[in-house]
Parts: sequence; structure tokens; C-alpha cells
Amino acid sequence: MATKALVTKVWIDPGCIVCDACETTCPEVFEVQHDNETCIIRPEALDAEFNKPLTESIIEAAEECPVDVIKFDTVEVDAADVPAAPKPAAAPAAGAADASEPATAAAKASPEKPASKVAAPPKPKVVDPAIQALLAATTVRGGHAVINQGIQDLPDSIKHMSKLSPDKLPPDARHQKVLQKSSPKKDETSRRDFVVLGALTVGWGSVAAAGGVSTLAFARFMAPNVLEVEDPKVRCGSLAKYLAMAPGEVNEDYKPVKPSGFWIVREEERIAAVSIICTHLGCIPSWLPNDRKFKCPCHGSGFKPNGVNFEGPAPRPLERFKIYLDGDDVIVDRSKKFLAMGPNDTAKWNDPEASIPV
Amino acid sequence: MTTSIHSVFAAAESGISDTIKDTLNALSVPEYFVSITVVLLIIGLLTYRQWTRPMVAVTLSLLFIAFYVWSALDENFFKIITKPDNIPITMMIVFTALVTWVAFRQAAINDARLEKGEPLIESGADDKVLVWPDLVYTELIAMVLCTVVLVVWAIVLKAPLEPPANPTNIPNPSKAPWYFLGLQELLVYFDPWIAGVLLPSLIIVGLIALPFIDKNPRGNGYYTFKQRPFVISTFMFGWMIMWIVLIVLGTFLRGPNWNIFGPYETWDPHRPAALLNINISDVFWVITPDWLGFEWWKPGLPTKAALGGYMPAFLIREAPGIVLLSGYFFVLPVLLAKTIFRKIYHEIGFTRFCVFWLLMSWMFIVPIKMVLRWMFNLKYFVAVTEYFVNI
Ligand code: SF4
Ligand code: FES
Repeated sequence: MATKALVTKVWIDPGCIVCDACETTCPEVFEVQHDNETCIIRPEALDAEFNKPLTESIIEAAEECPVDVIKFDTVEVDAADVPAAPKPAAAPAAGAADASEPATAAAKASPEKPASKVAAPPKPKVVDPAIQALLAATTVRGGHAVINQGIQDLPDSIKHMSKLSPDKLPPDARHQKVLQKSSPKKDETSRRDFVVLGALTVGWGSVAAAGGVSTLAFARFMAPNVLEVEDPKVRCGSLAKYLAMAPGEVNEDYKPVKPSGFWIVREEERIAAVSIICTHLGCIPSWLPNDRKFKCPCHGSGFKPNGVNFEGPAPRPLERFKIYLDGDDVIVDRSKKFLAMGPNDTAKWNDPEASIPV
Repeated sequence: MTTSIHSVFAAAESGISDTIKDTLNALSVPEYFVSITVVLLIIGLLTYRQWTRPMVAVTLSLLFIAFYVWSALDENFFKIITKPDNIPITMMIVFTALVTWVAFRQAAINDARLEKGEPLIESGADDKVLVWPDLVYTELIAMVLCTVVLVVWAIVLKAPLEPPANPTNIPNPSKAPWYFLGLQELLVYFDPWIAGVLLPSLIIVGLIALPFIDKNPRGNGYYTFKQRPFVISTFMFGWMIMWIVLIVLGTFLRGPNWNIFGPYETWDPHRPAALLNINISDVFWVITPDWLGFEWWKPGLPTKAALGGYMPAFLIREAPGIVLLSGYFFVLPVLLAKTIFRKIYHEIGFTRFCVFWLLMSWMFIVPIKMVLRWMFNLKYFVAVTEYFVNI
């Protein structure tokens, strides 16, 4: 006589990755709870007789499970005894679930089922709302329902009860315990919420503070490293001092002036303010009185006393600043520059503002 | 009697050493210094089987140590090598010599074996090493040694914070960290964006591109020189001359005002050194007509735009340099591909040859420009200061 294996008990080992495969294949037995990040066996399916007709799709679901955590027990029965229960033709799509529901489940369908649930996977068809609540409070693992929280506070008899799997509980005890378990414990929850909230506040607060501080630091870093308001005009004393210089002489008094220093040079016909920044790469040349030249210590550019480049890599003569007379005082205004583009291209220096004629 | 012999001896000795120092000082003008190192490199490459022999190599290193110690007796040389910043230079010279020797020694052995048809040194090698104890021990020892060296170094050589920057008192010469001295030397010859940005990027990009240009499998996984003479020589030139020698030049020969000083010469910031740098445009538009003295060609840089203003004056002024450079960058590779690089061109194809020439041309324009600067005071081939194009 042919025998056939029928599933009597189905459970899920730890390790479920909440992939929805099983519920798609066999929604009567499996329910994926995304909120709890797990998949549970619906309470009806804790009943061997409920499972037997679903053998095929349970096995299919077990095979499909990508992490193979769906386990089941079977019994061998005569092929003839196999209940000719209706089976879902194939894995029902979520929307079609109601239509393809097994008759047994359909009979228990709750009439109050909200219309909005139509598109959702079929909910367990349980009359008792307390059982619904139990579902939220329990996790079915290894074939046993375990009430997750608060076992310590319960009377012994109830503790004992709570260790039983839900299908073994007497109906009213089940009802009561479920109600108790499913109603949140006020203080504990709020205390926990408080702690969590506090930790989150402290954590994110410090992240925000660190981010804010480093943003500020970065902003400061990007800002030029100079005093904000620096008067570009420098008063350089009376003209007589510079008239006393011989042509080709250089006055170094204003080299250290911040933010950009200059030399006052005496040419044959005029005096001018020459920037101290090397036009090659920005080093500061030294004035070598014996050689009568400016010489850059970085790559050896040389400039004549009037700032014209003649040796080394510097491509242009030293720049000149605006210079003018205020009464008898010489004023150098560094907000305006006169650039010569080459040793032979010094036309800009003839600008009346670029020098004081003598 | 003895004393007089002694003094005569000492006098002769100091006379000799002074002569040597003077000679070396005279030889350290950059054109000689770099030419000599290039010649030494060529000799080294040609005779790699001889000088890598352990006895020869040891003798050479002993000679070098003797030379270094003798040099250190000189006050000026001593000042240079004992400057804390310059300690790594001595180490760099030693280690460079060491790794070069290791590579060429292996190559010499392998090449000899290849000629005799024997297996290579690497062919029998079992690369596998036990993590414990071989690797871990080696690492442990290396770690301990490094730590000790660094600690001792940090204690013995001070690296103090100096006073805040002050424009009236800047170090003269102002030198970059030792490993950048080669680049700083390039800055003497090129515009900052070329020497500081383009050339370093080309070095990095070029090294990355090498395996894609050179797909020749010979030399992969074993040392050899005979099978890859061109590639290895080119690399040795770029590395030894364009990097190491320039660092040495920057350390030992560059003194105050970035002037060239011999290694045994006192750094006198007031030593006059007049150079008058000229651009190609000056040579073409001023010096040549001056020299030729034609009626119809008056010396003077062109200052007027041409072609109804479409060709700005600087384009005309810089035309000779532009022509020269385009010849170097675009015509020369064609000629080379048809002549001495013909084989290479056929092996690597058009695209890769272009990349190859891009890298080669920039590598060789550096020494070309340097030599032209030293010999003819050339400043820039093309100098369009307005647009920062100074090559
Ligand atoms: S198929 Fe497996 S992994 Fe996926 S939800 Fe079901 S039990 Fe979890
Ligand atoms: S910065 Fe002055 S020569 Fe380079």
C-alpha cells in the first residue's frame, strides 16, 4: 500500500532573513512580520490536522527558504487516507489570496476585516482578538510559543501556563494571559522609552556638535589667515627722506609691513614702491646692496634695483604699488598694483599713480 | 729631522687635498656635475657585470666611504652633511646604491645564466614563507629596529619649532625638504605650474601608465638587464639623474641666493654671480639681427598685432619658440618613429607610441632645458607671461 508523508508540525529555526518567500508560497502557515524582523508560524498551523492538507506547499516553502530555516516533521500515512482537502493551486499572489483561500480558513474569516487589508497578505483567520494580540506578543520558535516579556512578574500557575505552547492553554487562561501580555506595561515602556530617547539625544547631539564644530573649524581654515581689516595705505614719512637717496638705492624700512611689504626704490626720475613678493613662486627676495640686486633665496631669481627681472626663473618684474604724495608725506596704497608683463614691457609703470616724479 | 719630514708630509698632503677639493669644486658647476653623473651612469650600465661583482662592489663602497669621511673633514662639507635636515640624504645615497647594486647583481647573474642556458635564480625559488616564525620574526625585528632608530634619531637630532615667519629674516637659501629638492631644482628652470604641477603629475601618471605602454613580458618576475636594456636605461636615467642627482645637487651644491657652490666652498651670500637670462624671442628678434647686421632686419621685439589684430603681438614674438617646441613635441616623434624608434613603434602601435612620446618628451625636455640654461642662459622657449605660459 502506498504511503505518503504528511506534515504535522512546522517551525522556524533562528536565522530567518525575512525574505517573504515562505509567505508567498504558503500564506496559510507562514507570516512574515517585518516589524519584528522575523517570520512566524501562524497559530492555526500549530495544529497537525491543519497542516496535513498543506503538506505540499509547506515542503515547497521549506525548500525555497534561502537560508533553510524552515523545519518540519512528517508522518507516514496511507495514500488513501490523504484528506482530499483543497490546496492552493500554487503560491498565491498577495492580492489573489482571498480568492484562493482554503475553504477551512475561509469559513473562519472575520467579517470585520477592513477593506484596506485586501491587498495585504491574508491575516490569520482567528475569531478571538486576544489571540490576535498573542500573536504580537509571542514568537514561535522551535515549535513552542514563548511569551517574550514579563514572565517574572506572573503568578506561578500562569508562568507555568505561559511556558505551554498556545494550543495547549485552556481557553480562558489563554485569553487572560494574552490580554495581559499584549497590553503594554506603562512604566516600563515609558522608562525604556526615556532611556532610549536620552541615549539617542546624547548620541546624535554629540554627532551634531562634532559636525558643527568641525564645520566651523573648516570655515575658519578656509578663510584667509590675515587680519580682516588692514589699511592698504601706509604712510611712509616725508618725501625728503627719499629724495636724499641716490638713484638705484633701496629703502627697506617697509619690508616687514603686514600683509604685504614693499621697498621704496629711487630711480633716476622717480621713486616707486616695489612689492617684496617674488613673481616666480612668492618667496621674498633679499636686497643685496653690494651686487645692487634683489635675489630670491628659493630658486635664484634676480631683479635689478628697479625690480626688473634679469636672471633666474621669475617671468615678470616685481610688482609696484600705487604711491602718491599727501602734502609732504609719501603714501603707498597697496590696494592698487601696477604689473609689468616682462622686462621690456613696463609701460604700466609710467602711470602717474605708479611713481612720484622727482 | 722627523718633525721636518712630518711637516713636509703634512704640507704635501694638504696641498694634495686642496688640489682635489679645488678640482671637485670646479667640477660641481651643474653642467659638469650632471654630465659626469650621466657618464658614470652610462659606464655603470655598460659594465654592470663587472662592478656588481661582490669584491668590486665592496671596494667601490670602501672608496666611497673613504671619500665621504675625507670630505667630512672639510668644514663646509661637514656643515652640510650634519645639518639635521640633510641626514636622510646620506642615507638616501647609501640605500640607493644598495638597491641598485642588488638589482644589477641579480641581473648580471641571470644574464650570465641565460647565456649558458642555465635556469634563472628565480626559477628554483620557492616563494612560500611560513608566517610563523619566518615572517613574524622578520617583521618583529624590523619593527624593533625601526623604532630604535627613530627614537634615537628623534633624541639626537633636534627638530625645533622655529620663530614665526618673518619677511625681514628669511633663510637663505630657502630649501624644501630633502625629498623635494629635485622638484625645487626644476623650479629654477620652469614656470611653477610646469615644475610644480605638470611634471610631478606626469611622473605619477607615467609610472602608472608604464605597464600599459610596455607589454613586453620579458623581465617579468626575474631580474635581467640584457633583455631590456632600453627600458631599464631609460628608467635609470629618469630615476638616478632626474631625481637622485638633482636632490644631491640641491643639497650639496645650492647655496645662498640659490647660487651654485662647490661642496667644499664657503657659503658666502655676497659672492657675486651675475647671470643674464634670455628668452628664445630675445635670441631671435634681438641678438640674431644684431649679429647679422642686415639693413632690412632691425633688432627689436615685435609689439604690434598682425593679421588685422587676430594674431596678437605675443604670438609673433614667441613664434620662434613655438616653432621649436612644436618641432620637438610633434615632428621629432614622427621622425623617430620612422628611424630609431621604428621597431618600438611597430611593437606598440600608434596610441601607445603617442603616450610613450608624451612621457619621454617631458622627461627629456628637463635636461635639455637645464643644459640650455647653464650653457646659454636660456630662460624660456615660449614666454607668454600674460597667460602664465612660460615653457
Ligand atoms: S523563507 Fe525562510 S528566510 Fe524567508 S521569510 Fe521564510 S523563513 Fe524567513
Ligand atoms: S620664488 Fe623667487 S625664484 Fe622662485
